Amino acid sequence: MSPPPPPAGGRRRTPRDELAEATAHGGLYLRRLVRAQLALSLLALVAFAGILGSLPLLLFLAPGLRTISVIGVPLPVFLVAVPLFPLFGALGWLYQQRADALDDAFRDLVER
Amino acid sequence: MIAIIAVSVVTIGTLGLGTWAVRFARTTSDLFVASRAITPWWNAAAVSGEYLSAASFLGIAGLAMKMGMDAIWLSVGFSAGYLTLLLFVAAPLRRFGSFTISDFVEARLGSPQMRLLAAAIVLGIAGFYLVPQLKGAGITLREVTGAPYWVGVVVVGAIVAVNVSLGGMRGITYVQAVQFWIKTFAIALPACLLLIYLGGLPHKSALFGADVPRAPADGLVVKLDSPRTVTFPRPTVFRENGVLHRARAGEKVELAAGKLSLPAGAAVPLSSGVERGPGVVWSRPVGHGGRDGPLFVYSLLIATVLGTMGLPHILVRFYTNPDGPAARRTTVRVLGLLGLFYLFPTVYGLLGRVLAGGLYVTGETDSVVLRLPHLAWPGVPGNLLSALTAAGAFAAFLSTASGLLVSIAGTLSYDVWGRVRRSGAISARARRARFRLGAVLGIIVPALLALAAGGLDIGLLVGWAFALAASTFCPMFLLGIWWSGLTARGAATGMIAGATVASVGIFAGLIAGDNVNGALGALLAQPAVVSVPIAFLTMTSVSLLDPSARPDPEPLMLALHAPEGLGLEQLEPASADSRDPAPV
Repeated sequence: MSPPPPPAGGRRRTPRDELAEATAHGGLYLRRLVRAQLALSLLALVAFAGILGSLPLLLFLAPGLRTISVIGVPLPVFLVAVPLFPLFGALGWLYQQRADALDDAFRDLVER
Repeated sequence: MIAIIAVSVVTIGTLGLGTWAVRFARTTSDLFVASRAITPWWNAAAVSGEYLSAASFLGIAGLAMKMGMDAIWLSVGFSAGYLTLLLFVAAPLRRFGSFTISDFVEARLGSPQMRLLAAAIVLGIAGFYLVPQLKGAGITLREVTGAPYWVGVVVVGAIVAVNVSLGGMRGITYVQAVQFWIKTFAIALPACLLLIYLGGLPHKSALFGADVPRAPADGLVVKLDSPRTVTFPRPTVFRENGVLHRARAGEKVELAAGKLSLPAGAAVPLSSGVERGPGVVWSRPVGHGGRDGPLFVYSLLIATVLGTMGLPHILVRFYTNPDGPAARRTTVRVLGLLGLFYLFPTVYGLLGRVLAGGLYVTGETDSVVLRLPHLAWPGVPGNLLSALTAAGAFAAFLSTASGLLVSIAGTLSYDVWGRVRRSGAISARARRARFRLGAVLGIIVPALLALAAGGLDIGLLVGWAFALAASTFCPMFLLGIWWSGLTARGAATGMIAGATVASVGIFAGLIAGDNVNGALGALLAQPAVVSVPIAFLTMTSVSLLDPSARPDPEPLMLALHAPEGLGLEQLEPASADSRDPAPV
């Protein structure tokens, strides 16, 4: 862990300096939060990229899917044109809940 | 006639709202970024309204009709871009509290010289993006009034320049939100009514089977204002200016300007660039290689999914959120709103193939959304619906072009002028005058390019703006926000490398045209799959090898990631303060 930064020259002492200086654990907590947020984002990215990234490959490798018809269009066209949008929304909503929860946990930790 | 009225209402409404809002724009900060206290739903509608451009409203359907169903990956990527923005950028950037991309670059990397580089890239992306908006305006006004192409480019360019220099962004937040609903209504209602009226998709064999697009039961007459080379997919008898001709299957024919007449049921001849195959080939979302193969699809997805976060006019909207969590909530709502809109361009692409065959002869499929309703539904209902789509298209250019021009004007007046000519402190009045001058200058170059780019597809033009953004600002944001080791030198080298590779690919593709096929053709049509990794690698490795001293990362990470409510959020980097306006 690096030593806390000195307050900027001449600037009014600020709560940020307090956090960095007064609570020796401030920097550690923050780095832990950043790592947790990044892990959450990467997890969501893996889910998102996994689904979106495998679809073109699936459609390329399985041309036979086109014989199946959904609401009057071949399955490959349907798969690209419709279900991805609600999926992105759901994934985004789930992420937002978890990310806000991580922020709240950090706030509780620092204010305690 | 109805269409002219509808377009005028949208335009006058936008101008009126903008002028009304100017009374509230009392300080320069109102001009740059609207008041930050706007609810997530308003913000989300405004972001979506600003985002849905001519490419979304006209371009996707046009490209789908021309190249086939592989074009609908554009819808997917345009929407998915907000998911990556949500995961990695939205909340930290809002917390950091910079006003523009240039502010972020300078504050994060601690180097004022970076501001000029960022400004140059912002101008490149926004300029690239403005060209297709103005092209859309040109073809829409031509569809509606019969005026020449350049009239629309000039008229909409002038309207947008006036609107931006008078109203700034405060007005535009609410205008943009309303424009989102105008656009969604204007694309959704005609699509639904047409599907009901037609009883589903007609002529499925031409869409998904072994057939090609054919002339309707009363024949097809196409007016050509210039000579065209077309390919006849089937043996066809046709009349060229009244003279009877015969074409073999696959024959290339040079048509003179004038009138082409096809009898009922004749296979429609296709302009260059149009997918020649029958429905079964046309409707593949992923082709078997070459220009519509998996490589192209992945490259397009990378450009759009990563490029959205690098669009200057979109990012600036996130500062109107009061805090980080609000920025997240706004982005989730944007995903929902865009998901609704992007269901519909596909419908126009599908119906256009069987009902608007005349556009295949001219190659101008970008106007399918405007023309389809009255072709599919003759008489008053079709004309009304065509008027509605024309109004929606106008809303699309006005809102996106306004947002882009705000970014261009802000960059020109503050970053470029402010750096090149250091004149010390200037009055707020002079600042506003510079902003307005920037708006006027910023529209002229894209308008000239749009006049030259009449033959290029809107969807392709916008895809390049995304490729440029994904190859420059995307790696800079991702690494700058999440990796404290990024240095100014690394970011500069990486952005220059990404921009160079992407631009070389795009211009080589423009020059080579349809002559290059296969994997190389796919890469030249969309270079992101190469340029984005190069930008990331350069940025990371140059940063790691950079011997120069790094600024202490802790305060930066605190400003980017510390949650609100701890008394930390008022602490914005010093450079953002330098821009804080004095009240007038």
